[in-house]
Amino acid sequence: MKQQTHKRLYDTHAWVGIISGILLFIVTFSGIPAMFEHELSYWQYPAFGEIPEDKSFDLQRTIDTANTIGFNYDEYFIQPPDEVNNHIMIGHFPEEGEFDIRYLKTGSYEELEASPSELGHILTFLHTDLYLPRPYGRYLVGLAGMAMLLAIIAGILIHVKWRKEFVMLRPKRSWRLLLTDQHKLLGLWSLPFTFILAFTGTILGLLGIITPILALAAFDGDVKKATETVLGPSATITGVAAPVYPLNDLMKKAYIDLPDADIKFIQIEGAGDKGGQVKFSAYHNKHLSNVETVTYSTASGETIHEGSFIGKGPFQRIFAAVTPLHYVLFGSVWLKICYALAALGTCGLIVTGNMLWLDRRGHGMKHILSKLTLGICGGLVITTCALFPASQILYVFKLGEEQHHVEEWLLWGIWGITILLPFIWKNGFQLTHWMLRTSAALLLLTLIADGLINGRWIWLTSGWNFYIQAGLVFFALLLIYLDIKMPDKKKEKFIGRESSAAGEPIV
Amino acid sequence: MFFSQMIKSTGSRNTAAILGSFLATVALTIAITLLWPFGDLVEQVFAGGTFFFIFWAAVFYWAILATDGTKAWGRVFILLIPALVIDIISLAS
Repeated sequence: MKQQTHKRLYDTHAWVGIISGILLFIVTFSGIPAMFEHELSYWQYPAFGEIPEDKSFDLQRTIDTANTIGFNYDEYFIQPPDEVNNHIMIGHFPEEGEFDIRYLKTGSYEELEASPSELGHILTFLHTDLYLPRPYGRYLVGLAGMAMLLAIIAGILIHVKWRKEFVMLRPKRSWRLLLTDQHKLLGLWSLPFTFILAFTGTILGLLGIITPILALAAFDGDVKKATETVLGPSATITGVAAPVYPLNDLMKKAYIDLPDADIKFIQIEGAGDKGGQVKFSAYHNKHLSNVETVTYSTASGETIHEGSFIGKGPFQRIFAAVTPLHYVLFGSVWLKICYALAALGTCGLIVTGNMLWLDRRGHGMKHILSKLTLGICGGLVITTCALFPASQILYVFKLGEEQHHVEEWLLWGIWGITILLPFIWKNGFQLTHWMLRTSAALLLLTLIADGLINGRWIWLTSGWNFYIQAGLVFFALLLIYLDIKMPDKKKEKFIGRESSAAGEPIV
Repeated sequence: MFFSQMIKSTGSRNTAAILGSFLATVALTIAITLLWPFGDLVEQVFAGGTFFFIFWAAVFYWAILATDGTKAWGRVFILLIPALVIDIISLAS
């Protein structure tokens, strides 16, 4: 590669990283709890764990119960129990106005109070939409993903000595060399996961932008028609009443029409109308696809639409695999852990990249980017760690539905304060140490709060509650390890033969 | 003189890489969706969707690796103009 091309790629890698780095950190770090949203939502509300384990599901009984508890809508969805939860979720999301979500216990079909804590949802919404109005937050996340892809491409091309860099870490040399080695190590080891997350995340984020472009090409710009061709039509309400075909029979039919698939989502539109329909959406068990669908008429039971990406062309398969690959809807919990570790590695990659850029230009903690990197990135870690104990401690105050508003206030309040801290606390190394220690302490506090308030001491729990608690312990230990290993100050210049021979820039 | 210097500048090259590559990508995506010869209509749409990201990354780097802004815009237009012609002819017909 020509030296000038190498330099241009190097500069592009650096600038793309610097411009998008902090945003990418927010998206990547919040992506870790988002990946475990389902499990976190189960842990955050002890009442979910108290439901006796029962995975049976009766669609008709669910709808009958929904009607008796005042859940009467023309359009709604149902989520049957799954491998984590023993409850059934029914929800109505109008285009405008308040949504309505109810929970039913499996087995008894009694209504269960909704979770006062929204920990899982809050952190997931930060990841998917950055708490910005839809769809603009999602577009911004998609653009951040695109920036990550561009940085990855340049990063691969400029690191020609990757075999050596795979194992090179020189902790006793200069600060800059330590940052360089860490940046390359983290980048190389997490590369397959980072690439998958960036590519799939970009598609998910920018889908709203590319859909009109594709619809213009293939459907004369009709986005609705394009969506319906892929995912099936919406119901056309005629106003003519018709008896509802037995829904449990349709569910049995759906299991036959969707072989090797788990039904995760049932959407009902206009049941009782001649044009009413029910759509079953499933995850395939053997292939990467979460968009296996079959739609029936609720009046006649006839099949209206079948949507499967299995056995189709390569590009349909790619798109069908996007969500399973991004949110790890396949494999075991260990694969999710690998993803989470890779995402943590990517967070380290982003931070070391920013610090390297600053260090190479001779900027210290006084530079605004140093302060913002430490404040926003370190602050997000502390804030996330603080939300965990808060979600449990707030149960003491019996706030009910208000609890999730308090959690949101805590998110912005703590994050806001920590963003300001580097502007007051001048010693960045010292502040980083305190941020790491505080975050670890908050995670350990979560375990104590969970034990005292809910009786869920780690040695007494099992299943998903234990996995979440073990994950908190692991992350706390990782933060403590980083606190121990993190230097107290920048190492002085070091000029040695080894450094020069390795072709590394001498500090 | 000022205009030609502006077009030649690093800022212009970066604009070509960011904005120009996006415009060229949109035109190329429509063209490939219209012309994709394999599979059914849905496959055509998803082929376009996948190539969108490949085109964007490729055109971005092709433009940014140009020696100056004029060449970067030249590279963008080499792709944008034929793609636009294909789009207009195909959509009009």
